Amino acid sequence: MAGGGSFVGLAGCTDLFETQSAQAPPLPENRPDAVYYPTHYEGMEMPGMKEQSGYKCALTYSYAHRFWLMKPNGISKVEIQPEDSIHLMPVVWDTQTGIIPPDVNPQLTITQDGESVDQFAPWPMLSQPMGFHFGDNAQLRGDGTYTVEVSIGGPSTRRTGSLTENQGNASFTFEFEFSESTLNEISYTDIPDDKEGTKGAVGLMDMEMLPNSQVPTPDALPGDVRGSGTSGDAKFVVTLLDDASRFGGGEGQKYLAVSPRTPYNRTMLPMMSLSATLQRDGTSVFDEILQATIDPDLRYHYGTTVADVQSGDELTITVDSPPQTARHEGYETAFADMPDVQVTL
Amino acid sequence: MLLYLDYQRDGQPSEDDREEVEAALRGIEHAYERSGDGLLLTVSYSPAYFGRFDESLPEGVDLPDPEALAPFEDPEFDTPDAVVHLASNTAQVVLGAEEALKGNKSTLNGVDQPDATLTDVVTIADRRTGFIGDGLPAEKADEAEGVPADKVPEDAPLFMGFKSGFKKNQASEDRVTIQSGPFAGGTTQHISKLDLNLNQWYNQDDRWQREAKMFCPYHAENDVIEGAGDNLGTSSKIDDCEPTDETAREMGVVGHSQKSARARDDDDSPLILRRDFDSTDDGTASLHFLALQRRITDFVDTREVMNGTDVTEQSAVGQRNNNGILQYIRTERRGNFLVPPRSLRALPPAQPAADAQEVTYESS
Repeated sequence: MAGGGSFVGLAGCTDLFETQSAQAPPLPENRPDAVYYPTHYEGMEMPGMKEQSGYKCALTYSYAHRFWLMKPNGISKVEIQPEDSIHLMPVVWDTQTGIIPPDVNPQLTITQDGESVDQFAPWPMLSQPMGFHFGDNAQLRGDGTYTVEVSIGGPSTRRTGSLTENQGNASFTFEFEFSESTLNEISYTDIPDDKEGTKGAVGLMDMEMLPNSQVPTPDALPGDVRGSGTSGDAKFVVTLLDDASRFGGGEGQKYLAVSPRTPYNRTMLPMMSLSATLQRDGTSVFDEILQATIDPDLRYHYGTTVADVQSGDELTITVDSPPQTARHEGYETAFADMPDVQVTL
Repeated sequence: MLLYLDYQRDGQPSEDDREEVEAALRGIEHAYERSGDGLLLTVSYSPAYFGRFDESLPEGVDLPDPEALAPFEDPEFDTPDAVVHLASNTAQVVLGAEEALKGNKSTLNGVDQPDATLTDVVTIADRRTGFIGDGLPAEKADEAEGVPADKVPEDAPLFMGFKSGFKKNQASEDRVTIQSGPFAGGTTQHISKLDLNLNQWYNQDDRWQREAKMFCPYHAENDVIEGAGDNLGTSSKIDDCEPTDETAREMGVVGHSQKSARARDDDDSPLILRRDFDSTDDGTASLHFLALQRRITDFVDTREVMNGTDVTEQSAVGQRNNNGILQYIRTERRGNFLVPPRSLRALPPAQPAADAQEVTYESS
């Protein structure tokens, strides 16, 4: 097991609160339909890290959180329940690339002295300081030693390059010493009243031993970056790769990749349904879905093979479904109502 | 109740043991009428049991070893020789029959029991119990960890709050019956044990999400379901749902029934006949998913459409997230069994002689 450690967010001052109610202060008034500064943010604790079958897994936790689940016409709020002890987050990544695959849904089994305590599949989630992760509030039985098993199965999103080799199951077992006093040492940072609810985001946590869930800056994306646009406060960067062979394309075909990301933190936005049309001189030359794909270089993105793209072609990206990840505070009003994105290539 | 049995003798069964098993089974059958008000039972045998024979099962009997049926599951496999399934509308009947099979009752329901007992020739390897019926899950919510208090609807027949096994979503007994060969009249049985996460289901999802994920988003949008869904009648009205792939793309969520309804044959019949029931075994809210089908492949195909892997690759629907009820169930165990026709139910050979079977075509 690698050493444990606690992590503190990068921005702002640190105030420590030790009451449960502090985890759910009143939401800011007049939240924008965009990414906004939440009321507060928290650090996290990492009881351990394991490696198996080409994957690494870190078990991390923080205070129990309120969050929101997505619905087609809105969101539904999940309140912290009195029984909830912690917010448990198993972070699994591909050892070679450091990519956190959103399609591999971990299963958690918590036991104590061989007796079942809780079992669940945590939700895929977006949070400002944690980025994309799987997490849910867990119900423990107070201070003590718990065994937490994190098991993952095969992928269900298309993968390319070296990522295609990682198809198998893996299971990671952690001995987890839990105490309220350690939990209460996790940082809790209040955001001033005049800042909370305004557009902006808390920075990603500085997690030295863990990879992040960011996608590349436009400059660092492979291919020829042909433009970008925004929708629902998400930024969509469009790049064109000359060689589509690793994406199933034929000879001479190109690969059109759309890389959506959160503003400020550049966190990936998985689990969307995207489609695209390409217009050339007023005529449609292409109308297809964009398939979610995880590539070692493009990382999580949506793409399709195309015969050709010419300068001046009009690309319309349609968000058929916004990201179906659960949302932590500050992300629940963004990436929901997402109109078409128009990009002139 | 499911009694998992290991045959005590090594190798092939003896004629004496066959007679013992048959006599024990007849003993409990004579005590009750063969109906839900009385006692219903089946006996089935695993691939491990048929491995005792030099011959393999006849062609046309599809009984592979159990395997994981989703990329994200890692179940234990059940390999005892046989399973006796006892069912009744009255719990005491099942418990009494169990005791009689173990030789603990000289009379059952006033009927003398034979000297022969099942446990003379088999050892009980596992015992799984459960229930299905309006109000029972709410009544038994206290017996299992993690069932949110007062959240399981009072009238629901299953823990997840909805009726299932709508008549029109079930294969007929004919559809699941083996049609030819020495095991004609029999069927195959798949039994899995699924643990349920009812905390997310009841405390985190709302009613709209439960309806959308159990049935389809259309039903949730249009308030099609009242309570546990008894108002739907004999069908879950899946024809009203949009096609699964369209819903996945445009709504980002698909329903369990909506996906599962895609598993149909050329005559538009479902492939499996569900006989599942809830359980609080080991203090865990779970489901014993027992399904009968002509071939185990029919179950595998049904589970494959339920996984919706095709849908997740092409839409916002996740491997488990928003993917029917996959988020809330964890497969603990799987096992495959052959339910032979009645004439062969006592320790059958792998290759029964053609004339060994009186063709009765009794449904299993």
